[in-house]
Amino acid sequence: MYEPQRLHPLSILDYLIKNIYSLLKGLLPLFLVALADAGIRKWFLLAVPFLLVLFVVYGVLYWLRYVFYLRGQELRLEYGVFVRKQRYIPIERIQSVQISAGILQRLLGVVKIQVETAGAGNQAEFVLSALPRQKAETLREILQAGRQIPDQAEQVPPAAEYRLSPRRLLLLATTSNGIGVVLSALLAAVSQLDDFFSDLNIWIKIGQYVENLAAGKISMFILVIVILFLFAWLISLAGSLIRFSGFRLTRDGDNIRISRGLLEKQQLTLPVKRLQAVKVVEGILRQPFGMLSVQVISISNSAGAKGEGNVLFPLLPHSRLHHYLQQMLPEFAVISDIKGLPASARRRYLLVNTLPALLIAILSAIFLPWGYLAFIIVPLAAWLGNAQYRSAGWLIDTDRLVLRTRTLGRVTTIVPRRKIQSMSVSQNFFQKRLGLASLRINTASGLGAAVVQVKGMDERTCQDIIQWFSARSAFYQ
Amino acid sequence: MRQIPEQQIDSRAIPYWRWSAGINSLFMFLVPAAYYGASRLWHWPAWITAVLLIMVLAVASFFIFVKPEIKWKTWRYEVSEQEIDLLRGVFVKTRTLIPMARVQHVDTRQGPLLRHYGLSTVTISTAAGTHEIPALADDVAGILRDRISELARVVDEDV
Repeated sequence: MYEPQRLHPLSILDYLIKNIYSLLKGLLPLFLVALADAGIRKWFLLAVPFLLVLFVVYGVLYWLRYVFYLRGQELRLEYGVFVRKQRYIPIERIQSVQISAGILQRLLGVVKIQVETAGAGNQAEFVLSALPRQKAETLREILQAGRQIPDQAEQVPPAAEYRLSPRRLLLLATTSNGIGVVLSALLAAVSQLDDFFSDLNIWIKIGQYVENLAAGKISMFILVIVILFLFAWLISLAGSLIRFSGFRLTRDGDNIRISRGLLEKQQLTLPVKRLQAVKVVEGILRQPFGMLSVQVISISNSAGAKGEGNVLFPLLPHSRLHHYLQQMLPEFAVISDIKGLPASARRRYLLVNTLPALLIAILSAIFLPWGYLAFIIVPLAAWLGNAQYRSAGWLIDTDRLVLRTRTLGRVTTIVPRRKIQSMSVSQNFFQKRLGLASLRINTASGLGAAVVQVKGMDERTCQDIIQWFSARSAFYQ
Repeated sequence: MRQIPEQQIDSRAIPYWRWSAGINSLFMFLVPAAYYGASRLWHWPAWITAVLLIMVLAVASFFIFVKPEIKWKTWRYEVSEQEIDLLRGVFVKTRTLIPMARVQHVDTRQGPLLRHYGLSTVTISTAAGTHEIPALADDVAGILRDRISELARVVDEDV
């Protein structure tokens, strides 16, 4: 680890595939034009093997000159064929270390290591594309612990573990938002058909379908809907299988380790002290099953950006939440109950939801046939508004702030005081009259800021919370 | 109840905001202009142009003649050793607290219009977004920037 060393030669192949693919993607239109013309094609086909050889030579040179090593408290990387580049990362600044292995890599027993710091952007700061597994594990040990020599004797078995059972995985896929996304994608595809084949008149046909409902073709209509749902469910299931198969979370000293994935085995290590906040998400489809998922806000870029790397517990029964948090993440386990909003805030939640719904209903009643059916959304909006009001709340538990909000699903955010980057209390004219205010906190995430805002809090409560945020910070200095 | 922050921003902020609102409101006149063009093309009623024009004029004159002064009166800031305290807002009053330990870096910025008035904006960046203290006199802004930078270094914490 301490003398400069190269990656596994598989990284040459990895480099070639990546670069040729991106070149192809960029120049595809040009290639198509070139292949269409017989005169150019001859030259083009001659040039391709030549270019490939150049690529391979460059790839080998790149591999030869790509070395990494540890020096002092730094991880160092030197690379570049013509222009030599050096990149040094202080070990203490590392946010996360991720180990993954694609199919090709698994065949040869090597892994990829991605090291993240808090810098902006979606690219990992430090990628070692092929490394023997043993070496990768050692490197990770060193980086995580921030110590010089890996100590084999200290390998303690993980204290606690969470696994996603196949039955849970099935429920996860069924209740995931993925179904909604797939459904709307299907609908969008259908509506696009209308643009491409204008003589199809999809919407008129759908209109006729609706008319035919009354004429006894309802079974056909239901069949179409059922097939559509089944299709969406299968796609969502496939997606969940690929992402969450073999999901396993363990707590190991100061780190959380997650391994998961079907096609590509991924291992993610997150230092607990780097976690910015924990989000308990009770999706609207999952609430009837008493299920929720727990996500984490962290600064590591690739984990946050992909949207799935940030899942701690993909699916958990409501009743087990506290048990698991207490075991795996006691830093974020909160016992007391959330405090609700004052009664005077209810009106705002109702109005904000029902007024737009009412407007849409009136407009569609005027302009659309069957449009008055849209009035059905008004009581639904009122119900949602009331649910939002009842869900919203806050809690201060020693040095942690808990905020709960609902748009559709209910989200509870738990943030340590140290991880709140800034806090704002705002008050508009209506809120001032009612003695209410909105509380907003910014926490850091891989995509910039993660903002949580609770509207309609008591204004004195807000003052107390901002005082809690402020006074203690004065205390520490 | 916390005291409201002590410092006010420079009073030259008012003419500065007037001018910048004036320049911005030129874009609003595109709406009646576009409608006027369309009404000539497709023979839409012409009186709507006048209504739109009056509306834009009313909104623009509010932003130019009324809002800058209220905005200046309500803007307050205070920088102590431990935190930065901001209070602002005409319609929605917002109080923001940034602990010194969370400050990543501070900048001063100055566009051509600000330079004309000898003003600068101080921008405070945290790991989760930036905050601004607008329109301070150049020297005040420079001193403030250096001071925040100094204080932030003293209480440096890792994210």
